Amino acid sequence: MSEQNMIEVNSIEKRYERKIALSSLSFVVKKGELVALIGPSGAGKTTLLNLLASLLEPDSGELKVDGKPLSQYADRRQRARKIGLIRQQFDLVGQLAVIHNVLAGRLAEWSLLKSFASLFIPQEKDKAVDALKRVGLEDKLYERTSNLSGGEQQRVALARLLMQKPEVILADEPVASLDPARSEDILAMLTGLAKQENQTVVASLHSVEYARKYFTRLIALKNGDIFFDLPSHQVTEQQLQELYQLKELN
Amino acid sequence: MLSFDLHKRKLLTAFLLLLFAWSLFGVNWQEGVLHSSGLGTAMEIFAAMFQPDLSADIIRLAVHSSWITLAYATAGISLALILALVFGILASGVLAGGKGSRKMMKGFFRGVLGFMRAIHELVWAWLFVASFGLTPYAAVFALAIPYGGILGRIFADMINDVPEEPIQALRAAGASRLQCLFYGYLPSVKASMISYTMYRYECAVRSSAIMSFVGLGGLGYQIQLSLDDLHYDEVWTFMYFLILLIILIDGWSNMLRKRMAL
Repeated sequence: MSEQNMIEVNSIEKRYERKIALSSLSFVVKKGELVALIGPSGAGKTTLLNLLASLLEPDSGELKVDGKPLSQYADRRQRARKIGLIRQQFDLVGQLAVIHNVLAGRLAEWSLLKSFASLFIPQEKDKAVDALKRVGLEDKLYERTSNLSGGEQQRVALARLLMQKPEVILADEPVASLDPARSEDILAMLTGLAKQENQTVVASLHSVEYARKYFTRLIALKNGDIFFDLPSHQVTEQQLQELYQLKELN
Repeated sequence: MLSFDLHKRKLLTAFLLLLFAWSLFGVNWQEGVLHSSGLGTAMEIFAAMFQPDLSADIIRLAVHSSWITLAYATAGISLALILALVFGILASGVLAGGKGSRKMMKGFFRGVLGFMRAIHELVWAWLFVASFGLTPYAAVFALAIPYGGILGRIFADMINDVPEEPIQALRAAGASRLQCLFYGYLPSVKASMISYTMYRYECAVRSSAIMSFVGLGGLGYQIQLSLDDLHYDEVWTFMYFLILLIILIDGWSNMLRKRMAL
């Protein structure tokens, strides 16, 4: 694992109305790290990921990806090469065939004409087939995406990420709507593929068990602040209990 | 408060009922309600319903008129579809970058669509007949403009109702606004667009028939001529052809919908 800093978060703050969502958060993620964000609901995990994906703007503080402030990734091609996003299953266009949802990962690189033509005669089909093979769905190439099960749809989203090949993958509750077996399947695939490509992953998860099993580092958020930030094997039961404890019990 | 309101409403109801009863005294019951021979005519028309004129000449004329009516409607709705796609996509504002320009674009093009459909196709027909004369173009344009306005407005609303998440995901994958249109918005609304357009096609056939009263030829024109000659049996022949056209289009629309549901 190289020592290159992939994500630098420097005392960022975000509030909604008067409620503080994140209060002066700072951490650094190195290239190739697999980071899980854990913590109770409303702790700010999704807000943090949306800030990193530049779906939201921080009120103050600085976000750097690969040494450059996020605001400098205005060009959509550059940004797509750097940062990829995967969320719960309704991220795909259900009415399109699977292959087009997978090829959508190439849109940043394609001209308008090529992307339009591809809807009739799929372009770079080999790459799409390859990506679908890696997630085990090569037989569903021309199936309508909405006909697939939840787990299969999330695998299609993974195949799209494989086409996009971003250096950083942001995953917001990627398995929240899946049963335990499918969840493990998707997480194993996500982290496995990221390791092969030497990608950096930041994922928010509800399940601490999965976070410890599949990720190398856990960042726990509580009330918009970092509660602990440790390699997965160093996290103790005591800390986890305190993390999820209800306020009234303190 | 509530009982008082209820009370007031009852008073109003009683007042309106009295007003209606009083207005009945104003009607001249001896003449004026029905045409002196109106009932007889109505019976004749009703009777003719079961005895449409099926002679070869009339059938040939009906087929020809149906063809003209269908042709106007088809050309009109095709042109309307093109107008609606262009203006509807612009009026949805999804191609605009910033919030400000999106608002302006939406406002302007929704205004254009509103203007197109505010004027009824019959009025457009008068205007075009006045300027172009009795040509097929008059009928086609008269249909295309208001129908383009109606379709465009609905298309814009459909596009605006597409869920945000898949579009955000496409943007995150680096898609431009036009790419998002082809990969996100349009596939999501394609089925409803086609089914609504088919419904409007049906309406266009009816409008096209009515519009021929202006003198543009077609089923409506023949119905008018036969009515003037008191040939109710012929009127019904033409009516049945009109109904047949509508049923055919409805069947086609159902077929399309079934195929798309796969």
